[in-house]
Amino acid sequence: MPRYGMVIDLDRCMGCRACMEACKIENATTEGHFWMNVFRYEEGEYPDVHVGFLPRPCQHCENAPCVKVCPVQARHQQDDGLVLTDFKRCIGCRYCEVACPYGVNYFAFAEPEDSYYLDWSDPALESVTGGAQPPYRNPDLDVRHGPDGRLVAGDGHYGGVMTKCTFCVQRLEKDLDPACVANCPVDVFTFGDLDDPESEVSRKLASTRTFRLKEELNTRPKVFYVGTPPGEDTRELEPVSKGRE
Amino acid sequence: MHLTRRALLKSAGVGGGALLASRLVPGGREAAGADEESAAAPVDEWVPTACWIGKQDCGMLARRVDGRVVKFEGNPAHPRNAGTLCPKGMAQIVSVYDPHRLRVPLVRTNEKGSSGEWREASWDEALTLVADKINEVRDDDPKLIIWQKGRSKSKELYDEPVVEALGATRLGHGAFCSDAGYRACEYTTGVEGVLHPDFQHTRYLLSWGWNITNGGGNKLCWITWNRQLLDARERGLKIVVIDPRLRSAGPFADEWLPIRPATDLAFALALQNVLLELGYVDEEYLKNSTNAPFLVGDDGHVVRVGGVEAVWDQASARLKAYDDPTLVDPLLEGKVFLESGQSVRPAFEVVKEHVAQYTPEWAAEITGIPAETIRRIAAELGENAQIGSTIEIDGHSLPYRPVAAMAYHMAQQELGFQATRAMLGVFMLLGAVGAVGGQRIEVGKWKFDEEKWAKWNEVEIGDPPYSFTLKDSKFFPINSANPQVVAGVMQDPERYGVEKLPRMVIVHMTNPLLAYPDQKRAMDLYSRFEFVTVLSPWLTETADYYADVILPTATIEKYEGPIGGTDQYIDAVGLRVPPMEPLYESRGEIDIYLDLMEKVGVLYGEHGYLYYVNEWLKLVEIDEETEEVTPGPYALPLDQKPTVRDIFDRWAKGQGIEEGVAYFEQNGVLVKGPFKVTDFYGAAMDPPFGGVRHRLYGEALLRYREEMKAKGADEIYWQDYTPLPTWRPPTMEASPADYDLYLISYKLIEHKQSRSSFVPLLEELSGGQRLSINPATARARGIENGDEVWVESHNAVTGETRRVRVRAEVTAGIRPDTVGMPHHFGNWTHPWGQNRGPSPNEILFSGEGYVANTADQSYHVKVRVYKA
Repeated sequence: MPRYGMVIDLDRCMGCRACMEACKIENATTEGHFWMNVFRYEEGEYPDVHVGFLPRPCQHCENAPCVKVCPVQARHQQDDGLVLTDFKRCIGCRYCEVACPYGVNYFAFAEPEDSYYLDWSDPALESVTGGAQPPYRNPDLDVRHGPDGRLVAGDGHYGGVMTKCTFCVQRLEKDLDPACVANCPVDVFTFGDLDDPESEVSRKLASTRTFRLKEELNTRPKVFYVGTPPGEDTRELEPVSKGRE
Repeated sequence: MHLTRRALLKSAGVGGGALLASRLVPGGREAAGADEESAAAPVDEWVPTACWIGKQDCGMLARRVDGRVVKFEGNPAHPRNAGTLCPKGMAQIVSVYDPHRLRVPLVRTNEKGSSGEWREASWDEALTLVADKINEVRDDDPKLIIWQKGRSKSKELYDEPVVEALGATRLGHGAFCSDAGYRACEYTTGVEGVLHPDFQHTRYLLSWGWNITNGGGNKLCWITWNRQLLDARERGLKIVVIDPRLRSAGPFADEWLPIRPATDLAFALALQNVLLELGYVDEEYLKNSTNAPFLVGDDGHVVRVGGVEAVWDQASARLKAYDDPTLVDPLLEGKVFLESGQSVRPAFEVVKEHVAQYTPEWAAEITGIPAETIRRIAAELGENAQIGSTIEIDGHSLPYRPVAAMAYHMAQQELGFQATRAMLGVFMLLGAVGAVGGQRIEVGKWKFDEEKWAKWNEVEIGDPPYSFTLKDSKFFPINSANPQVVAGVMQDPERYGVEKLPRMVIVHMTNPLLAYPDQKRAMDLYSRFEFVTVLSPWLTETADYYADVILPTATIEKYEGPIGGTDQYIDAVGLRVPPMEPLYESRGEIDIYLDLMEKVGVLYGEHGYLYYVNEWLKLVEIDEETEEVTPGPYALPLDQKPTVRDIFDRWAKGQGIEEGVAYFEQNGVLVKGPFKVTDFYGAAMDPPFGGVRHRLYGEALLRYREEMKAKGADEIYWQDYTPLPTWRPPTMEASPADYDLYLISYKLIEHKQSRSSFVPLLEELSGGQRLSINPATARARGIENGDEVWVESHNAVTGETRRVRVRAEVTAGIRPDTVGMPHHFGNWTHPWGQNRGPSPNEILFSGEGYVANTADQSYHVKVRVYKA
């Protein structure tokens, strides 16, 4: 049984957000949901200014606070370390969102058909797409995954449930890297089995100094960062849209 | 275990294109075998195609499940993007399915000049309307038909054969891009391109503008560029960023020089000044591969012996032709008195004397970069250039000068032509042009273009009446046809000595109202055409206001190409293959042109569309002198209409690809392997650089100036035709003092010009228009982050003012005297394009004072900013 983890090399990140779009298409995430979010920020005063980028997926904590607070065991951790939501169980109480110190949870306020950017219900399109919502919806999202066969992959299943990054559970089962990792043009991400000392991710961890976000909270994230952490006086640049009202 | 993309590439080898596409799964590894429960399993396949939204047509694989495309991923076998996509490439699937795409041809039913009202038409009716108008204008003068492209994705099927078969006039987007830089490089070296580095070897890079992390280099796009940049950086490349705004380079600026906008020429001249002072000069290159030793008289003209440029041979103390085989050692410095009594100096001496005035202290005042910094940068360039050193590559001992500039869009300013020449001059002094690690111009092979080399040297300024493009006129003799210059001509033809004005325009995949500066002037231009037809998948703003007929095109759902596939080092060619049928009633452009040309009556026969397609796809051989045509085995018959697939099948077979188009349907790209070192480096060619003398001294530019003056052109036209780059303050500096800020525009990685700022996913990512403003500048105006402000521009020539309202984004990463806006947005036809803020092109100006001497667009203007 692997134990999945990720290393993010901030010294290579160009802040392009291609990973965010790869996630959006692969997981058919709805408007305003950024399971992967790349923060762009600056520090310092003119002309001594530093610009930085920080990709932030779900940290898939070993000691995940979101799992502990879920009253219905919808938020759960698999043996391979993935922290997932069972959309069939989720009651939308949002306790997980409150418990999570990383802000990675995205609640589905609206029904899926109202959340995909455009009105796709169009007969001329449906003859091509078979009515898929959105037309590019990945069919792997609508089948069950994991050892218990749960509905855990992708976004857009129901309104009123909590969603977040799954490390692309549907891709891992095909032995593919998560979409963000696979698409990064400049190889920012390393992904694999933390328990396999020969895996690329283990070798990177062994050879490089890394840090984790909010390590003091003892959440034990399985996402590690290479490079300089953002300082105290960072100012966010170019935030993404929050979604339309 | 997860295979990384790199591991996959390694196992696939460079010739990964030989893998069957059905076995390729991007981003990971080979597909798992068929599902055990495959009885009811869907048909899940990956088919190759090419990105449609961007500039360099990255190789893609489309995942198709039961015939429905669900995702595009990068094609791992493609040298340009190696299995990855940028945010635009990834998000484009949303726009392919966009229900707001045009579905059927539309014919306008209301007056032009406001939002269109339309009736639906059949393809037959719409094409007949366009063809009838074309024939009406052709009967008058075919040159009065303009074919205007933005993003032509196939020169061989569109730009050349359509224009040639119709006899039309072609307008491109180059004047809004970096044509001033292209012309400067062609004139100086005979190579078409703009300054960029040799990432595999460059150690020290001067980098201009937003390209570095948001756009990539010339002829290449973002992914290729940044993959190479990152690798180079990890090998120790130092990057000095020269940009009023830091964000473009972000963390990859080892040093940031926040230069005052539009002063790059002054900076380059000061670098030359210090290099000469410190003696960082590659005499061998200058003597053997440039015109530095050519003797120049006091009148600025080069002395000739028997019609050939003369040099002074120090060994024999005689005047000799530069190509005289008895020449031993040409003089570079000093002065010589000829027998005639004339005193002459080598061009290099003229350069030295000219540049002596441009001290770092002088440039510091103009550029805002401290004199000591300019000195240090010049010294670092000189040191890092390692003049005299060589490196062994593939058995060739080659000059090694690992210093270069990335100055692609530096050309987008009033002094862009001479600024590029001056920057090129820096690297000529260092001997870095075409050396290993040095200054590159063309992508891939070092292609010396003899025709262009000769063309800009032959001054051919005619007398009126001039063409409406003003090519070869006394106004803009060197120019590549700027639509905004045409706009000025149409407003006042008499002033420009033009008699015949264009009557109709075919707008091919461009949206000039938004994409280019000076929206007001563009509106005026399109309002003056008798007839406008637009080919586009969406209702562009240009079509909305001015089209008579709109022809709805497919996006990615078509065969299109051939597409260059090089990443600069590896040679490759690709083709766009349709992953699905065209949506709605849209059609691919080639299909549209085949029908349109047939209706016009110029499809078949000699000098018809098919005739020119044969020529451009090299399916026939044409003797240049006799014009005799020898058809190759795959030539298109000139009497029958082919399918588009058949055209590309013949093209592929003509390229020696046995399987024909099926090869590309399987693989998407043909990877041919690395370029030979003797093709790649100008210095490695035999003879070096194609045997030409790079023009450090621009004698022809002086001849242009003299001719223009003689024909009575005003100073504003000839002032920058100088043999050596010469500083003057840009025209915009004449704006009143209360227009106290410079406006610059820049590109976002999320967007591509005007063509993506309505793609929902990208719009969500970009957050809409914003004005970058320094905290001190904002504070002085009572502006806080997120406030709405007015940006008001002033035209120093006409006195006109314009303003737009925009949200302020306060950032410390910009000069206090400069504000910036991304050059996207301002759309109004698409629901996701609306209310995203204005385009800076609404308040930028074109025309005299805001174009270069080569008629290419400037992106600078003085503005004032105040709270809304």
